[in-house]
Amino acid sequence: MGQRLTGAEILLESLLAEGVDTVFGYPGGSIITVYDKMYGYSDRLRHILVRHEQGAIHAAQGYARATSRPGVVIVTSGPGATNVITGVADAMVDSTPVIVITGQVGNAMLGTDAFQETDVVGMTGPIDKWTFQIRRPEDVAPAVAKAFHIASTGRPGPVVLDFTRDAQVGLADFEYHPCTHIRSYSLPAPADEAAIEAAAKLIDDAERPFVVFGQGVVLSHAEEQLKAFLKKGGIPAASTMLGLSALPSDFPYYVGMAGMHGNIASNMMTQQCDVLIAVGMRFSDRVTGNPFTYAPKAKVIHIDVDRTEIGKIIPVAVGILGDAAEVLGRLTERIRFSFHDEWAALARRYDRVEEERVAIPETRPQEGPVNMGEVVAKVAELSGRKAIIVTDVGQNQLMGARYSRFAQTRSFITSGGLGTMGFGLPAAIGAKTGAPDRQVCVFVGDGGIQMTIQEFGTIMQEGTAVKIVLLNNNWLGNVRQWQELFYGKRYSQTHMLNPDYSLIAKAYGIRYRCVEDRAELEDAVREMLDADEAFLLDVHVRQEGMVYPMVPGGRRMDEILLNNEEWYRDGE
Amino acid sequence: MENSSMYIISVYSENQVGLLSSISNIFTRRGINIESLTVFPSEFPGIHHFTFRAITTERAAQQVVGFIEKKVEVVRAFCFPDNLTSAAEHGLIEEYLNKNRNQ
Repeated sequence: MGQRLTGAEILLESLLAEGVDTVFGYPGGSIITVYDKMYGYSDRLRHILVRHEQGAIHAAQGYARATSRPGVVIVTSGPGATNVITGVADAMVDSTPVIVITGQVGNAMLGTDAFQETDVVGMTGPIDKWTFQIRRPEDVAPAVAKAFHIASTGRPGPVVLDFTRDAQVGLADFEYHPCTHIRSYSLPAPADEAAIEAAAKLIDDAERPFVVFGQGVVLSHAEEQLKAFLKKGGIPAASTMLGLSALPSDFPYYVGMAGMHGNIASNMMTQQCDVLIAVGMRFSDRVTGNPFTYAPKAKVIHIDVDRTEIGKIIPVAVGILGDAAEVLGRLTERIRFSFHDEWAALARRYDRVEEERVAIPETRPQEGPVNMGEVVAKVAELSGRKAIIVTDVGQNQLMGARYSRFAQTRSFITSGGLGTMGFGLPAAIGAKTGAPDRQVCVFVGDGGIQMTIQEFGTIMQEGTAVKIVLLNNNWLGNVRQWQELFYGKRYSQTHMLNPDYSLIAKAYGIRYRCVEDRAELEDAVREMLDADEAFLLDVHVRQEGMVYPMVPGGRRMDEILLNNEEWYRDGE
Repeated sequence: MENSSMYIISVYSENQVGLLSSISNIFTRRGINIESLTVFPSEFPGIHHFTFRAITTERAAQQVVGFIEKKVEVVRAFCFPDNLTSAAEHGLIEEYLNKNRNQ
């Protein structure tokens, strides 16, 4: 028989038993008992007090992505719960393990429109991996155990525990048993032998094999298996945006990012390959363009841990349900040593065009205002590829993805599927909290930073040394880009009058420097990277900056715009 | 376009509050109208059996089944066209589950 504790204490003990040392949260009326008990746990459990619940969940996402451990969020009922909803949906589509504990009113008041009562179970069910309402103190420990098991196994995702007041204040015996089995929830089984065999044969027979990998490689810790597979098969590989940093940027078989703003080589080779091996990715429309014209010559092999992803968008020749590390390991054993030198060398030809036509003008302009890509490239150069790069959403994200360079995995954190503006700043706080020894830089626009700018308060209180690079162009740049290209330059509601960020930084005690002139950029980036504390680098970038290359939405992936007027023509 | 016809989607799950709503949401999100629905305890202890009938395409029905099975509390889900042959298949599935009930 265990100790007799309140449900609130059982929650905290259970978190400790799961190895949690940091939680992100915000107190309130329906979670006050948990916060009261937390007072006695401050030596074992670090609580990061955010300034808005959305900040808590994005921070927990950043923490999880940087560390591979589930992020934990504690918030109150009603508005506390609804304020985390965006992050729950974001974590679901981006497969991020997060445990969200929402306070809830007492059992007798459920369904009575009580103060700060809302239907959390009903709201989160469609957008999370699992929701459970804890109504009795004896259910707390088993629910937490199940939550961690579900959030972090299979395809990871967010889990919501709706914790009623009765369950918080009531007493129960505490004993913790980690969950390892749920009868209706099966863990990834070893992949089907026949499927592996069929895939190996397709790969051996291929003349132009091509890999597109996603975050699944990172989530299953399959980076080394992927490298071995590519080396043995002599197969060039592209990454989705969420797969970035799974392979080092200079890995010989790596040809860059796929998708709407991906590298020319990735997209052109996708359209030409005869076997496409998709690993831990979900064929997002930002990757495929028009799915009916995607990889038209390819037999597709899709490796994923989530059965519903296989064949969901792109029909497959072979679907392999399983864990990426296991499947890649077994495939590598099966395939022949191969070389596809001529095919792989195509990438260098495309790279030369991209370098000349897009990358050099963007990152090394001689005159005019500072470019966004120029700033990103400078940070990549001076940080020695060691930083964790976090981005918000929009042009800052696309530039961050295109011009950052990586040497180790788990170094790129962004909101992919949901595309949540406001994600960047709190996610960077979470990443730095989880990986305090690493440099953490966040690229954010003047639109996105204002969506969660209140988290400057968290940085101030916690002393979180994040480096914030504000790519400030006074526009909602990505929407502006679409308006310029596809909506007849009718710039409807995308111009923004900005506050004086130096005063905001000063108010929060955050070091600040503004760059308007290219000549100052290098020195300013160096000063920011060398700082031991948080730093806001406010770079006034070209107002009409555009992200290229671009495959306009719904097009074929080889219909690539190089600039405002020119389409890429193969053979250039 | 694929042809739409009546499909039966049969779901075995743990008996948990809120599960019906989260399963029916999977239809709602794809704009599929549920024509009829029955829910009752199955012959397996603690397991409930839902039977949905809906007019949709084979591909959409398969996808709905995949997403239903992703729900943690769902043990198994199946779909088949609503005709006599399928009813016989359904009988076989029940028999299969009966045989494996103790696993």
